[in-house]
Amino acid sequence: MNILTMLWQNLLGGSRTLLFPERPKVSKGYRGLVRFDPALCSGCAICKMRCTARAIDFKSGKGTFTWSYDPGQCTFCGRCVEGCKTHALSQDAECPPVYLTIGALKKSYTVARKPAPKPAAEVPPVSASQAADPVPGGAQ
Amino acid sequence: MNLTTALARFLIFPGLLFAVPTAWFFLWVERKAVARMQGRIGPPFMQPVYDFVKLLGKDTPPRTGVAGLLMKMWPLLAVSAAAGAVGLLPVLPSSGGFQGDLILLLALLELPSACIIAAGFSSRSIFGEIGSAREAVLSVAYNVVFLLAIVSIAASQHTFRLEALAQLPASPLRWLGVAAILVCLPAKLHLNPFSLPNAEQEIYSGPMTEYAGPELAMWELSHGLEWVAATGLVATLAAPHVMIVWLAILLFVALSFFVVLLLSTLAAATARLAIDTTVRFYWQCTLIFAVLAISSALFMGLRS
Amino acid sequence: MNPWNRLMCYCRRRSPWLFHMNSGSCNGCDIELIAALTPRYDAEQLGVRLEGSPRHADILCVTGPVTHNSVQAIKTVYGQVFAPKAVVAIGSCPATTNVFIDSRTLAGPLNKHIPVDVFVPGCPPRPDAIVLGVAKAAEILAERGVQKPAAAALAADAPAALLTAAPEAIPVSLASAAPAAAEPVAVASAAAPAPAAKEVQP
Repeated sequence: MNILTMLWQNLLGGSRTLLFPERPKVSKGYRGLVRFDPALCSGCAICKMRCTARAIDFKSGKGTFTWSYDPGQCTFCGRCVEGCKTHALSQDAECPPVYLTIGALKKSYTVARKPAPKPAAEVPPVSASQAADPVPGGAQ
Repeated sequence: MNLTTALARFLIFPGLLFAVPTAWFFLWVERKAVARMQGRIGPPFMQPVYDFVKLLGKDTPPRTGVAGLLMKMWPLLAVSAAAGAVGLLPVLPSSGGFQGDLILLLALLELPSACIIAAGFSSRSIFGEIGSAREAVLSVAYNVVFLLAIVSIAASQHTFRLEALAQLPASPLRWLGVAAILVCLPAKLHLNPFSLPNAEQEIYSGPMTEYAGPELAMWELSHGLEWVAATGLVATLAAPHVMIVWLAILLFVALSFFVVLLLSTLAAATARLAIDTTVRFYWQCTLIFAVLAISSALFMGLRS
Repeated sequence: MNPWNRLMCYCRRRSPWLFHMNSGSCNGCDIELIAALTPRYDAEQLGVRLEGSPRHADILCVTGPVTHNSVQAIKTVYGQVFAPKAVVAIGSCPATTNVFIDSRTLAGPLNKHIPVDVFVPGCPPRPDAIVLGVAKAAEILAERGVQKPAAAALAADAPAALLTAAPEAIPVSLASAAPAAAEPVAVASAAAPAPAAKEVQP
């Protein structure tokens, strides 16, 4: 009689279907589309090395570099996000959209390389008499 | 019954004009009821009509030779037989003339299954052969019970004419017969738990594998008409006899609808049984009741 | 558009019948496709039916990067689906072969062999994304069905012309698919290597 009770409860309780085109909310930790922040990227290309599906492409130019990402190639493993030292990559809880032609979702960013930080001002060589003093913190 | 009345019965009510929309309606009811009982929404109301029209617009493969001709013929034969069976149902009280024959009704009800079996074999596909073999085994199993039940009802009332059967007061034997028919209906209509011939996961649509387009539309229509004919038979046997026309029609439709809901519940509640369990069920369990029914009918016949 | 064509377009959109084909996938996308038929996502509300025979279907759903063993089967089954038809590539494997990009056992992305209409990315894609992809394919199918074949044949690339051509009109370059129109379904559905497939003739 169990199955009949279940059927009756389904009839009374209504359906749990999401009416098209409603979509369910994905949970917070869902590994979805990879987001790139050009301001934080240092151009190390570790993400390209770590990518399992070769979805990330990195090309160096003169003073700039081009970072591109194809969600159609991506397997959403998250290795690129884990490997990024500057936290320029993050994964959204968002599914990639349906598309009609190959490569339609590919995104490229051309980022100018940041100028290298200037070395600090010359510190006079420390004489033996001053060696006992602690080094001023400004040299760091 | 003169020619015009017969034509009206075959073409208008309960013939084609009534049967085809009712077939689509019953197909929708079955899908919607099963969906609701599984906690889903199910297809919209006009879905069987959309399916039918869409199939009419698809291409068909070129069919050559005698086998091709046969393949084109079986769905048409199935549709005509099922429509004829619906037209013969004694819904309206008629007066004199040719009154529908029970044997003819049974023959017309059997033809769609026979057409499915033949279609599977003439499609020269291995999946068609397996599906048709299963349908044939199933058909033999449930038909023994089905025919014995109907014949016992007819024998107990000493008549094979449908109107007479519908008009006479019901004896307890009739209810036994109706119960036996209800048990055979899931197998006849390819519903769970006896939905073996169209087991998609196993045999790729079975006998229907090579059919496409308008031919497939005809098969779907014949399936719907089988629904109307089979549930209508139960409705006419179970309904009390009333002389008012609109009340008779209402009772017929309501009882058929109730039988459709019953069968849908059974289809949603069960899973598909394998061929040996199915055959064992029909030969071991239900045959007893059918034999009881026919022997009591014979005894009653012998006594009077 | 005359009324019959308009009616046909209307009905085709609301009655997409699927046939699912696995060309060597890991089965993740297949599981999500079946999940799209479960109560929560319920593809049947769009009229979708998962059919048992490619001859019954309008939309061919393909999962998996196309392995060498399955190329012949894919092409034959594509030829067995009757016009008008649409193809949905489910998952990122049929679109770009995903992580298997350097594998020696693959015969490349799906659109090298058959024309693909909708790509549903994801690894695996969520069932609601699959339902969205099938709905989009149903729209494309409805529009395509009322196009004149001559106009479609003038389209840019040859594979696109296959979509509205009658099964017999498949060009000789895909000769493996040419006799497929009259072949029984048994030939392709056993994903046998090419020589074995040619032997089983009606």
